[in-house]
Amino acid sequence: MLFSSVGFLFRFLPVFMIIYLVFPKYRNIVLLIGSLIFYGVGEPYFVLLLLLSVAINYGFSWYMFWEPHSPQTNRKKKASRRRKRALVLAVAVDLGVLFVFKYWDFAAGSINAAAGKGFLPLLSLVLPLGISFYTFQMISYQIDCYRGTIAKRAGLLSFATYVCMFPQLIAGPIVRYGEVAERMASRRVRIRDLENGLKLFTLGLGLKVLLANQIGTLWNLIMTAGAGRLHPLVAWLGAFAYSFQIYFDFWGYSVMAMGLGKMLGFAIPRNFDHPYISRSLSEFWRRWHMTLGSWFKEYVYIPLGGSRKGTARTMCNLFVVWALTGLWHGAAWNFVLWGIVFFLLLSLEKRTFGKRLEQSLVLGHIYTVLLVPVTWVIFAITDMGQLAGYLGNLVGYHREDILVGVTQLVRYLKEYGVLLIACVIFATPLPAKLYWKWKDRWFVVLFLLGVFWWSVREIVLGSNNPFLYFRF
Amino acid sequence: MNGNKMRTFLEIIYNCPFILLVIFTSLVFVLFFDGAKEHKDEQEVAVLRLSDEGAEEENSEKGNDIAEESGQKKDDSIENDFENEAEKKADSAQNAGARKEKEDEMTINKDRKTDHTDPGNTGKAGRVEKHTTEFVEYAPIETNSRYYSDAGKIALTTVHDYVLENESYFNDAAFLGDSRTLGISDYAGLAGADFFCDNGMTIYKLLEDDGVTYQRTGEKVDLKEILQEKHYGKIYIMLGMNELGYGDTPMYLKQYLKVIRQIKEWQPGVIIYVMANLHVSREKNNMETEFNNININDKNVASARLANGRDVFYLDCNPLFTDEEGYLQAELTFDGVHLYAQHYDKWRDFLFEHGVEREEVLQTEADGQGKGFEKMGGSDGGSASQ
Repeated sequence: MLFSSVGFLFRFLPVFMIIYLVFPKYRNIVLLIGSLIFYGVGEPYFVLLLLLSVAINYGFSWYMFWEPHSPQTNRKKKASRRRKRALVLAVAVDLGVLFVFKYWDFAAGSINAAAGKGFLPLLSLVLPLGISFYTFQMISYQIDCYRGTIAKRAGLLSFATYVCMFPQLIAGPIVRYGEVAERMASRRVRIRDLENGLKLFTLGLGLKVLLANQIGTLWNLIMTAGAGRLHPLVAWLGAFAYSFQIYFDFWGYSVMAMGLGKMLGFAIPRNFDHPYISRSLSEFWRRWHMTLGSWFKEYVYIPLGGSRKGTARTMCNLFVVWALTGLWHGAAWNFVLWGIVFFLLLSLEKRTFGKRLEQSLVLGHIYTVLLVPVTWVIFAITDMGQLAGYLGNLVGYHREDILVGVTQLVRYLKEYGVLLIACVIFATPLPAKLYWKWKDRWFVVLFLLGVFWWSVREIVLGSNNPFLYFRF
Repeated sequence: MNGNKMRTFLEIIYNCPFILLVIFTSLVFVLFFDGAKEHKDEQEVAVLRLSDEGAEEENSEKGNDIAEESGQKKDDSIENDFENEAEKKADSAQNAGARKEKEDEMTINKDRKTDHTDPGNTGKAGRVEKHTTEFVEYAPIETNSRYYSDAGKIALTTVHDYVLENESYFNDAAFLGDSRTLGISDYAGLAGADFFCDNGMTIYKLLEDDGVTYQRTGEKVDLKEILQEKHYGKIYIMLGMNELGYGDTPMYLKQYLKVIRQIKEWQPGVIIYVMANLHVSREKNNMETEFNNININDKNVASARLANGRDVFYLDCNPLFTDEEGYLQAELTFDGVHLYAQHYDKWRDFLFEHGVEREEVLQTEADGQGKGFEKMGGSDGGSASQ
């Protein structure tokens, strides 16, 4: 189920919220069952995989905290060995499942291609929804248990609820157990929380449905014509359109998750901090998908030694982090390339001009605004030939005659001009600032009501006519 | 106590106006939407009724019966097929629509016959086949959708002695369609033709006031006016994708028929090409929604029935772009729906290869002499006498 669907908005959410509020004593179990229904509607089989993963992970964490009666002398040593074993096994199982579902075909295909023959079979598995997110949450839980950040083992119900909780199950943010542990034990839902939560949710819904989905059609339009024979301005327009689409899509989803979290009595961390106003790519990544960035920082980069072990080691660590970040986003070479491009640019910034950019007034902004869309193009186009064609188009190179030229550009601008301006405005911190200033004023309430129903209208039209997103 | 309760109540309202507004409007909308749905149904019924009345106005009940009888007498597999299909699928109104078309044809035939009787031509009727859109049948699958059913057959391009044309053929051509036609406009390089198309265009919207964009100027125009003012030699229509999730196939067919009849009325002697809607890719094909090739094929088969091999031709471009299972080839498309710009060349060539020379025919027919007249008279005489 998606947040931006009629089924969620008008069936699941109201029914769930009523039950949730009527039985304050059983909130965790209500939330867990609700979340499993939420997940199971779309993934009736993978819900079993999810439950199995939860059970196995809980088993390992239980083993980690297990204290058998043994002689006092080597108790500590044994305990530490046991903890390590449990951690390694748990992480191996989690990554193994992720690997099989997400990366096997990519890895096997690449090996087969390199070997020139097919000696590894392809599985053609469907990717379970949200597996990248919940796997990372469970790994963070295991590592936190191992490190002692989580001092006391969570109850099975709490752990399962933490992993499966529907606001963040499918698309993050990646919440760490420590961030919700207290609320997991007991939480109050005040009327103000419901009100503010629903407002946030509506804002997110608007970002997703009214901005991301709409501007996405422009990118689709341009890619439909095909990369390789685009006028450079059309290519840039497409890159900006996709940059807006992916941002508002993901930010919108994260804001919806925060809003829902608030309605349930949780404080889900925020995931985006206006990334497009950054002055460098390093700053961009401190503001973009913040929970993933900090996950890699805390569980990969710092354990590898971070930047404390000399330049060579730092570079190596950065490379590992960015290759993994690339792969996390998808199992294809363009994602690896995307990660490596970030590795190169970020290392360059770190070693040379990063500080100066961040202190500059305008230059840093121009640098980010021009480079980030290029990285998104690499992210978006899986086919390497097409990707090369598109990147060529961006700098004005095309092997054959331009097919999509000024005529189409004018038409696109006519059709999408207003939307593009709206996207630019919402990429700045201004709307958020105004919202926090006036969020209880009647005109904001009415505005949000408008956003809500306008979004619903788009969703309903989209379901009657499944092509709204693509618009033939 | 009571005052306290009142105060809490007011506090709640004061604290969560947004939630209350959303809940309140939701309830209002639930009531409204149910009403709207009924309203829509009523409208559809009204549309059906309207076309019924239209049919009855022109032809009396008796005329209807005669048409039906003669329709049965005619040993014409396709039209019988049409009739059967219509009976199976649609309500009586649909039948009337089908009958109506037949009557139209009959009237035209009769008119021609009285105008230019040429006894020597009936023998040639066999050579110039009239209803020559062939259907390949297969075992239909069970579908459970209010939008479509499995047609159980595939329509092939109308059989005809097509002529290889060049770009000048399209100088008096108009294309009416959705985003796929927009693609032809943008990338097929048919500069001489007029394109009237929009993303999301449907057969229902086509003739609305200011309903469609004239691509040469980029402005919304009223196609009704244009078709009455400017004369086109050929009109290409390709619509059906945005209708997949609206109404159902009989309703689509009925509207298509209406549009074609209207165009024929405004553009006497025009050649109409009904173009098949391109299938979608395997990835995009979704049997759980109405967005799949079974539905597209259902629409295509329906529109192919409108082809008569005389002035309406059905062109199926799908074989150019689909694999053996009928899916749009993945490497030809980004979104599984639209061709990449570079592949429209193939489509253009396909259109070049399927030219019908009708103007000459009409010209000579008007003069009342020449080969074209024989050809014309032959086919018409044949259809009337059979």
